Amino acid sequence: MGYNGLFQLPDELVLTTLAQAFPSREPQIRALATLVHPSAAPCRNLVLYGTKSTGKSAITAAVLAALENDDIDIDDNGSPGLKFAIVNCVECITGRHLFETVVGKVARALRWDGAPLKCETVSQLTVALSKMLKYTPRPDNFRFVLVFDGIDRQREAPPTLLPALARLSEIIPNITTVFIATSPPAGFLHTPFVSHIHFPNYTKPEFVAILGASPPTPLPNTTQAETTELWARFTAAVHDALARAASRILPSLRHACQALWPRFTAPILAGTHAPREFSKLLVAARVHFRDERLLDPGIVSAARRLQTPPPTQTPTTTTDPSTLTNGTVLPKPPQPTSSAPDLAALLPTTARLLLLAAYLASHNPARHDLTLFSTHHHGRRRRRGGLSVGVSGRSNAGRRSKHRKIARKLLGAHAFILERMLAIFASVRREWDPSGDEQQGMDSDTGMAIATLASLRLLVRVGGAGGAGNSDPMDRGGKWRVNVGWEVVRGLGRSIGVEIEEWLVE
Amino acid sequence: MAEVDETNTLVFQEDDHRTAYIFSPTDSAEHQAAPQNQNARPAKRRRTSKKGANAAEPDHEPQPQPQSDYHGGEADFPALFNGAESLDAVRLRRTTFETAWPVLSGRIQNVLRRANRKTLDEVALFMREAEDEAETAGGKIPAGFIITGPNIASQDLLFEQMAEGLSEATGAKVVRLRSAGAPNLKAVLKKIIRDATSRSADGGDDAEVSIGSDGRKYLNYDLEALHVFLAAHDSRRVIVAFEDSEAFDSGLLTDLIALFHSWHDRIHFSVLFGVATSVDLFQQRLLKATAQQLYGAQFDVVQADSVLESVFMGAVAGSQAALRLGPSLLQSLLERQKDQVAGVHTFISSLKYAYMCHFYANPLSVLLAEERLLTNELLQPQHLEAVRTLDSFKQHVEAAVDARQLSHAQSLLENDEYLVRQVLEQTQKRKDYMTQLLRSLHLITATGLHPGRFTDLYVSALADGIDLSSDVSPVLDSIRRLNPSQIIDLIHRLLAAISKGNPDLDLDGWEDQEESEELRSSLTEITDEVQALLDQSKLSGKPLKSKYSSQSKILRTTVVAQKVQLSHDTATLTEADKAFSTAVDNLTDLLSRFIHVDPIGSLFLHEAWVYDSKSPYRDVFVPRPATTFARALARPHDYLGCACCSKPDGGLACTFPTTSILYHLYLEAGALLNVADLWAAYYTLVGEESELALDERAALVRFYRGLAELRLMGFVKQSKKKADHVAKLKWL
Repeated sequence: MGYNGLFQLPDELVLTTLAQAFPSREPQIRALATLVHPSAAPCRNLVLYGTKSTGKSAITAAVLAALENDDIDIDDNGSPGLKFAIVNCVECITGRHLFETVVGKVARALRWDGAPLKCETVSQLTVALSKMLKYTPRPDNFRFVLVFDGIDRQREAPPTLLPALARLSEIIPNITTVFIATSPPAGFLHTPFVSHIHFPNYTKPEFVAILGASPPTPLPNTTQAETTELWARFTAAVHDALARAASRILPSLRHACQALWPRFTAPILAGTHAPREFSKLLVAARVHFRDERLLDPGIVSAARRLQTPPPTQTPTTTTDPSTLTNGTVLPKPPQPTSSAPDLAALLPTTARLLLLAAYLASHNPARHDLTLFSTHHHGRRRRRGGLSVGVSGRSNAGRRSKHRKIARKLLGAHAFILERMLAIFASVRREWDPSGDEQQGMDSDTGMAIATLASLRLLVRVGGAGGAGNSDPMDRGGKWRVNVGWEVVRGLGRSIGVEIEEWLVE
Repeated sequence: MAEVDETNTLVFQEDDHRTAYIFSPTDSAEHQAAPQNQNARPAKRRRTSKKGANAAEPDHEPQPQPQSDYHGGEADFPALFNGAESLDAVRLRRTTFETAWPVLSGRIQNVLRRANRKTLDEVALFMREAEDEAETAGGKIPAGFIITGPNIASQDLLFEQMAEGLSEATGAKVVRLRSAGAPNLKAVLKKIIRDATSRSADGGDDAEVSIGSDGRKYLNYDLEALHVFLAAHDSRRVIVAFEDSEAFDSGLLTDLIALFHSWHDRIHFSVLFGVATSVDLFQQRLLKATAQQLYGAQFDVVQADSVLESVFMGAVAGSQAALRLGPSLLQSLLERQKDQVAGVHTFISSLKYAYMCHFYANPLSVLLAEERLLTNELLQPQHLEAVRTLDSFKQHVEAAVDARQLSHAQSLLENDEYLVRQVLEQTQKRKDYMTQLLRSLHLITATGLHPGRFTDLYVSALADGIDLSSDVSPVLDSIRRLNPSQIIDLIHRLLAAISKGNPDLDLDGWEDQEESEELRSSLTEITDEVQALLDQSKLSGKPLKSKYSSQSKILRTTVVAQKVQLSHDTATLTEADKAFSTAVDNLTDLLSRFIHVDPIGSLFLHEAWVYDSKSPYRDVFVPRPATTFARALARPHDYLGCACCSKPDGGLACTFPTTSILYHLYLEAGALLNVADLWAAYYTLVGEESELALDERAALVRFYRGLAELRLMGFVKQSKKKADHVAKLKWL
């Protein structure tokens, strides 16, 4: 198929094959092929957009590869009509990195053997691309497609990046620039007449069709046809249950289906239900559909399986729905564990005390410190009972005020000055930890405990940058904030026998 | 010039090892001005001292030992006894230290490496399997979460081993990252690429890294370079270990994981996180989308407690430890491990420091040397005098007098040769004591009846000795409550313990030695007896019990005339029961006879081989600079030693240094100090009406200087709230 100047759509066979490989994406494939094919309606800039996992990158790569191969087969004089390079912008750390990657990929696509060009700015990129594409003699129907995948997630992008890339085709006529983005703002290329192709999310029938294309292996007691039919109904049910709320996109829906499938089919394996009894199965598996932990297993997903030794003999008919006949035990969803006991067990006593003192400093206003911690008048501390008189007296007067105060522990932690926290630490240390050594005051161990807490981000320094730059972390005037929540602190307090609630004013 | 240098050297040497000294600028000014009045520039320490000392050595040094290598590694310890200690003794102390410590240090390293091995194997297994698993898990990144505990610093060894082990096990490149060296994404990538490409390339061809096959030069943070490098080396895996993952910026982690995920089809990245707190807390800091890209497994490192226990057994209690640490020092070391953020490595360095202190400063530590080196000539009169001043010597002599061994006591006091003989005999006694101590501890541990940990047992054995028959020890009570078959088990355990010894403690079995003969035969006898009784009771169907077992007392309820009567009844013991009770009694007697240790403080000459002083350890490892400053400023006369300032009541005097006066005034002030008021108060103290009678200019200069020093020490800072005020910074 030489270039004869006539409008000609790409080969129908290629498009059909692609459309079968990517179900329910045929309009997009045809539009894309038309807009990049040299003898169809090649455009200068093209924006593909849509939410993630709608096939933008995969379809682009597949279409371009197919068109390139297609041309090789047909072209008479052996010079391909279409070349392309795909740059994944997420992998490029800086603007310069992007430019050099572009040049490198273009050079590789063209089998360019000139000296590699250094490329620091957009203008140098233009020069380099011009050299390779514009000033090198090419056949008339030559078209180069340059794809920027995820251009909206480019790091350290200069502000002129997008308009400049969009104008590449004004300087180099035989280039088509394709931008793949999630949701491009209107006119983000600052160029008129940009073609857009929208990749909408799949609808329910489309989801079912896509998932139905890869049915699971047939269950032991059933035929493949039964399994496939059950799988189709099952995926539809999962879609109804979860798609709107939790799994909007294809991979997460597929993951949900795969996570739920063994549990859903457990009654069939156990022999209690037949694969035809869909509604009974659904009712039996209802509890799993509500379980969020199955869908979000967390980062420790492999631990449990590693720890459980595989059972040696195949279990016979069992009613335990989590045991499959092939002998593998299903990973149980991780139990929601509270981190408080862990933390309490991990930290040594001094660090725990410091963390508690920091929590008090963060959550008690400084004006109550004297009431809470002074032993001057009564010889013992008053804790929070002491304040109630004053509060109630004031509340009588201010009952009419509609101003309701939010409990302070529900608000975020406030910043405190390190010195104040240390003062609180020194005053409560003896009371909370009577077994501690006699020597009071700051020593290097206390400093080390603070440094450890800071490195664990349990205590955070605030305003470090806003103040005098990266000032000394042991500056007693520095401002800090506690970074653990109420539950953790309560657990910590109980681990050393302190009810921390008694020490909070409000 | 040599003259000056030499004096400087001496001054430095003297002052370096004193905790406090009086700085008197006037003296040194005179001193320097007198011999030569050229430029009084202070001599540089390093270069000149070496030359100067060499030059000055022959005529000034009383000892032949060269002081010149004072800075070098070959230096001898200083001679003690005010320099009267002989050179041989000094050298012997040094060599003893140098032979004693490496043995222990090697053992400790062994223990630490062994402790991590299990974790390492698990991680390696996971990483090997993850290669296939991750493919099925949807291209997720395998992530190992290693729960290390809060002391990340001590996990250095773990990650080092892991890097070695993993690169062997999986053929992957391992890159270790620490938060301090990873401020941003670019720096992290640079480090990853540099480390991954440099470690295996023994040829070290750097060009290969940066220039690809097509002659393209890569940026140094371009993972493409790594990809090209790995392709050239037929490897696809890179393991990135984040040692202190909590300290990493979570945004940075998110970026990195996203990047790794994006590259996953070309480079197989795996990640390892050292997690100090918990995986849940860590996960909360990551984006959910990021967390879903990880496929993780959690690994626990051996808890610091048990590592400490094994280090303790090997290095402190083990028979290879030359020096014994005393109970009070050990107690404080162990408490610090529990209360403070101090890892095992702190414990080890404290241990080493104790060794150093002992051999460096205790002249009697020479007695720890090998016996053949301890000749009569080596022990100088000073050594004997030192021995006679020891507390344990005094106790020993008093005990001898009480025991009517008068000639022994007299010879000890008067006859030097006799004393030398006695002292040398102590080496054997020390060894016997240690063997007895370790065997007793081992047997107690073998009974499995002692609650608590070995460390506590050891410390209490040193402090109070072991006496099973005393009321404190719960062991015998527990033994008495055992039933017959348990007793037999117990005896078997004891016999096994005797024959096997304890490799952790470096204790060989002592089955074939005659000391154990009696113990073993008696134990076997008791077993046989109990076994016979047991068989008999099985035949007769009556359970065998002793007078100690709880069933012997029966609470009896009788209802008489609608009243309930409770009465304790001693169940009658059969003949067999009585025999069994006797056997149990025999066993407890036997054990309390054989498991017996005196407190370490009661031994003659224990000062030579027990180090039990807390203060240098605390000063070095737990310094309290704030307290020291405050004390020095509050009571300067304690340090200056001048007559003018030391008042009995310790009040403020105008002769105090200015900074000290200002500090006293500072303590009386509130949160904000008005500088004008401070000046007025200061001037009233030192002004013209006072003893010092300074004029205003001179006082003002001093005042400024004092205030500047206070600021330098961090007591005050400029306040933004009020002009002419300084804010008080220190409250404690």
